[in-house]
Amino acid sequence: MKRYLKPLPEVNGDNKEFWIGCKAHELRFQKCRECGHVRWPPSMICPACHSRETEWIVSSGKGTMYSFVIYHVAFHEGFKDDVPYAVADVELEEGPRLLTNIVDCPHENITCDMPVQVVWEDRTDDFSLPKFRPTAP
Amino acid sequence: MGLRDKYAIVGVGYTPQGRVPGRTALSFHVEACANAIADAGLNKKDIDGLMCYRAFPPGAGETPVTPYLVAQHLGLSPTYMSMDANCSRSHIQHAVGMLDSGLCRYVVLSYGHNASSSDSMRRMLLERNGDDAVFGHFGAAAGYALAARRAMHTFRTGPETWKHIAVGQRRWANLNPQAMMHQRTMSFDDYYNSGWVVEPFRLFDNCLISDGGRALVITSAERARDLKHRPVLIIGMGQHNPSCEVHQASHLAGPTGAKKAAETAFGMAGITVDDVDACEIYDCFTYTVEITLQDYGFFGPGEGEDWFKDGTIEPGGRMPVNTSGGQLSEAYYMGLTPLSEAAMQLMGRCGSRQLGPATNTKEPEVILCSDNGGVLQTHTCIILRRS
Repeated sequence: MKRYLKPLPEVNGDNKEFWIGCKAHELRFQKCRECGHVRWPPSMICPACHSRETEWIVSSGKGTMYSFVIYHVAFHEGFKDDVPYAVADVELEEGPRLLTNIVDCPHENITCDMPVQVVWEDRTDDFSLPKFRPTAP
Repeated sequence: MGLRDKYAIVGVGYTPQGRVPGRTALSFHVEACANAIADAGLNKKDIDGLMCYRAFPPGAGETPVTPYLVAQHLGLSPTYMSMDANCSRSHIQHAVGMLDSGLCRYVVLSYGHNASSSDSMRRMLLERNGDDAVFGHFGAAAGYALAARRAMHTFRTGPETWKHIAVGQRRWANLNPQAMMHQRTMSFDDYYNSGWVVEPFRLFDNCLISDGGRALVITSAERARDLKHRPVLIIGMGQHNPSCEVHQASHLAGPTGAKKAAETAFGMAGITVDDVDACEIYDCFTYTVEITLQDYGFFGPGEGEDWFKDGTIEPGGRMPVNTSGGQLSEAYYMGLTPLSEAAMQLMGRCGSRQLGPATNTKEPEVILCSDNGGVLQTHTCIILRRS
């Protein structure tokens, strides 16, 4: 496998469960047991009601395109063979939005609010990355 | 509110600006502060408050800028000092609070950077913001581009609107000998030909990367009467900080923090947008100018293109905006690019770009200013009046 030059996730006490989930091809988010708010990024308390009572749920991986941009310049050497590439803000059915990439879609066909679903890229022994493509009709 | 008209900007400090190689970020802070103190007609012994804008990562071989280093190099020993961290932009409120409490008499507010000639911006771009970098997402341009794209989906906007902002501000820069783009004109074709950076932003939707610094001196209106220049009164201040990360924010297409910040500032000033003669708007990107003026109530969502076209914001226009050229065409010194220009205009010190007969515009009584930080996470609205 070609050496992976892009930055990898930095795991900390807040986001560890998310990245463990990704390795298992599951998008895991925290859900407040009191008010039901599903939050991202991971956090100690619910920003909606300040409850500490939290469970991790698995997202359906389905959502819509909230916004997207096309990078024509590589700010990091790991992406210089990728330009132009699409960075997207995907709104999942459960509520949170995830910064991610759009794959398997010509850039001219990307539109806000289009339905998308997660696809997994197994990058290293430790990390699989959630990316998104248009939902098959 | 009791703070209206009580405090004033009394001095402005400039430095060489543009590409000025061989200088540290600290040296620009120090030079800007010294010039602002002299401009006010004050002595360094008078200064008891020092506030600095946030610092970007230091360039190779440099120490991070801190307020105590700035004070040290100015030979000051202030009784109060502070620096914001990424990017609260509350400095004017902060300064007024310190003055009103009696803890300070004369506050200097400063920014300096060697962004153009050091490797600092490169370091800043590659600083981690959570795991955004994993997906190739770096820096502010792409964050604001996400906001702008959502706005294009939500209401009628895009390059057809933003070209008027880029070109309009360039025409002001062409009147400002200190502007980095003073000698370079810009046509609509130049705008469209400037090339994608992070689509939907072209190069000319982005602010400049500048060496240099800027500083202001703020004191009470009463003390201001004895100083060198006609004081510029602070009549309204408001702030609102939605704080959300750009990828969680639902305010990308407005209303941003600008709306509530302006309501607070106008409430304090006791005036409306109809009383505003010109605007100096934080313009990290063209879209920032549009969404700020929209949230301030100058036009409704999707009406921006009609409002901007036919030279509204240009010399001779009915609502001059960013009369130094702004951060898009003069130089980038955070919120001090707009605030210092508003102060200079209200002092009547702007030469061939001076609002009034020189530029076929109304002589300004009231100028509306903004500052914002992060990717629309923080917003400050400041209203200034000629005394």
